[in-house]
Amino acid sequence: MPDLKVLLQDSPGKRALLLGNEAIARGILEAGIAVVTTYPGTPASEIGDSISEMASEAGLYMEYSINEMVAVEVAGGAANCGVRALAAMKHVGLNVAADMVMTLAYAGVRGGCVIVTADDPECYSSQNEQDNRFYALLSNLPCLEPSDPQESKDMTVSAVEISEKLELPVLLRTTTRVSHTRGPVEFKNLVKPNLKGKFVRDLKRLVMVPAFSRPKHEVLLEKSANAQAISETSHYNRIVRKGNEIGIISSSSAYNYAVEAANLLGLDAGILKLGMTHPLPEKMIAEFLKDYDQIVVVEELEPYLEMQIKAIAKDYAPNVELYGKMNKRFFPKEGELSTRIVATGLSRITGKKLPINFQKISEKYAEVTRDLPSRPPILCAGCPHRASFYVIRKVGGDKALYPTDIGCYALGIAPPLNVGDIMICMGASIGMAEGISKATGRDTIAIIGDSTFFHAGIPGLVNAVYNNSKVAVAVLDNLATAMTGHQPHPGTGMTGMGNPTERILVEKVAEGCGVKYVNVVNPFRTKEAAEVLKEALQQSGPSVIVFRSPCTLMDARDKRRRGVKIVPSKITDKCTNCMACVKLLGCPALIVDEGKVKIDENSCAACGLCISVCPYKAIEGSCAE
Amino acid sequence: MKEFNVVLAGVGGQGTLLAAEALGVAAVKDKLDVRVSEIHGMAQRGGAVASTVRIGEGVFASTVLEGQAHVLLGFEPLETLRNLKFASVKTLVIMNTEKIPPTELTAKNMKYPSITEVVQKIYRFTRKTVLVQAAQLASKAGSNLAQNVVLLGVLAGTGTLPLKTESLREAVRELVPAEHVEMNLRAFQLGYESVKEGRKKA
Repeated sequence: MPDLKVLLQDSPGKRALLLGNEAIARGILEAGIAVVTTYPGTPASEIGDSISEMASEAGLYMEYSINEMVAVEVAGGAANCGVRALAAMKHVGLNVAADMVMTLAYAGVRGGCVIVTADDPECYSSQNEQDNRFYALLSNLPCLEPSDPQESKDMTVSAVEISEKLELPVLLRTTTRVSHTRGPVEFKNLVKPNLKGKFVRDLKRLVMVPAFSRPKHEVLLEKSANAQAISETSHYNRIVRKGNEIGIISSSSAYNYAVEAANLLGLDAGILKLGMTHPLPEKMIAEFLKDYDQIVVVEELEPYLEMQIKAIAKDYAPNVELYGKMNKRFFPKEGELSTRIVATGLSRITGKKLPINFQKISEKYAEVTRDLPSRPPILCAGCPHRASFYVIRKVGGDKALYPTDIGCYALGIAPPLNVGDIMICMGASIGMAEGISKATGRDTIAIIGDSTFFHAGIPGLVNAVYNNSKVAVAVLDNLATAMTGHQPHPGTGMTGMGNPTERILVEKVAEGCGVKYVNVVNPFRTKEAAEVLKEALQQSGPSVIVFRSPCTLMDARDKRRRGVKIVPSKITDKCTNCMACVKLLGCPALIVDEGKVKIDENSCAACGLCISVCPYKAIEGSCAE
Repeated sequence: MKEFNVVLAGVGGQGTLLAAEALGVAAVKDKLDVRVSEIHGMAQRGGAVASTVRIGEGVFASTVLEGQAHVLLGFEPLETLRNLKFASVKTLVIMNTEKIPPTELTAKNMKYPSITEVVQKIYRFTRKTVLVQAAQLASKAGSNLAQNVVLLGVLAGTGTLPLKTESLREAVRELVPAEHVEMNLRAFQLGYESVKEGRKKA
């Protein structure tokens, strides 16, 4: 990893290669933002992680909030004391925060308040690919959409300025391809964060009871009109080039593909780049429409711009031909765009021939890769979840049902572990387990991670106790928010500022919620863990079993630091090649070479799980049993 | 400068991200414009991963168009095949011969194809190939984990990059942990020299 200290350099004019998310972190420092909150989630994680690493040095406050709703609450609270604040989250996190966001828009803010939503077209690491620009329409909040790291930084600073001018939170919407692209970023001066705020009691402004919200809705609409005036003159909305053949309107990463696709086809296209996409600059768009007979809207996911541009066209340029993804689908609504997809769409619209025969490449590629085995993500060698799943499947078998949740452990659905039957959103495993258990009467084991339990699992658990649901909740506690980069959470005893804090144990929470059967097991002690799970399933009401063992990646890092050598497990000549280990565990360190099982010494983490399951005791090494 | 595109393909955990970033950092040192695309999160857990690096003025997207890679840097044979759609007759394929069998192969008791078979498939796209025993060179340098830096050394050694070798070396120095700098620079050098010697012989 690079030394993120570069972000702290007060060296205007310096050019550094930054990830989009690191550029947002630099923007935070250049905007003097004093409170940063987040719940980790790909593709947003590196915003909070970068700030976490340098928060105390930069003189700002940072926290990993337990969920996105709380993150916006903390940011909104600080911003209403005049302190600049930013809350960062992945797109689905904004669903969790939505209740707060929708009405914070009414109350407004005093200090600049930025809400970063990182969308994930193509679902690289998400359960859906919703287009969060619609939250801007829904909430009336202004929205900025960067297309590269430089803009990611600049727009973070601008978002604060706009927010303070309008006294309104501002959405900063990225996509995976913006957040996870590295590019050169030119620095400006750092601004010292001011953490000292002042709360001014103002009931009509801040207490959203009906009598006060009604007039505040009007205020919000006025602010939105002012935001539109800003959008009309914002340098983020600009004609980047004029053309004679056709006009293109685009934003975000789609803009990059649009420029390259137009160049590839040799199109003499005028391009209007939109960086402030809510409210849209109506007059600017109207003028652009009037200059062309044909307009192409290039955008990722939903036809968010196209819908609004159609409405603008009706009033200002009714004869212009509009092409996009609404009536005729020249571009897909699903998935990530690419230069190829945009060029193909533009070629169909304009009749210009593609200079590359993509079809031929695809055919040849399909031939060459016909027998290529897939390589989906899998649980790491030594992952404690593998041990937990082995135990859970052994006890629950095919009879039990396994609602699962968001995290590395979602990978348990793959054979041979086959644990996981339904997965929707953060925390849903427990609530869904209750419904499934009531509807089927079958043993139901909810699978949920530690961080996810704190994020959204607790209300479901309270509900299970309150309504006496017969569900077993397996909390797979690997002592980190592992999938997103091992961020701390309430169960780790560490804060985002790097300070020790009260450690909140899952089992204590469960007891406090009134769960009668609570137990903690080490998943690598498979026999003991299996007995506990069997007992849990005998209960007439809800039970909680905490499977606790640190993430193997963290464990290995820790061992390396301490100079502890990992001695890989060894297969002895007692091995009969029965393949039990391979078939039961699917561990990437167990490989079959010329029909024989071998342990890959480079990847074996010496967790000892294969030693536990070997029926012939033919594997040697350390084992927790 | 016209654009120069590199596709780095491997398995999560092999260090493709660091190698891609090193190319990006070197480009910034050489005052060139550059875009690097990365995939984080779920895809990293032992899954197939690809990063792309695009260097040059007028580069907007961070992803590479099919058939437009100047170099395909394969960290693993099957992952090299998986990314051949970015290759054309003009593409130089540098491939690490160290195999990482996907669990699907193990589960189905299928055989990993031989390097000859893999190379035959690459030939359908391009004859310009360099095979590297990166694991061997990395171990010689001091750690099996330095295969990514060996491959960067090889890439620099082929002389195709529009970057100064010293800038790339400097980038590696900046990006790896301080205690592993010397070992990684050895790995870089071993990769660099392996291909230089090969070229001399040819």
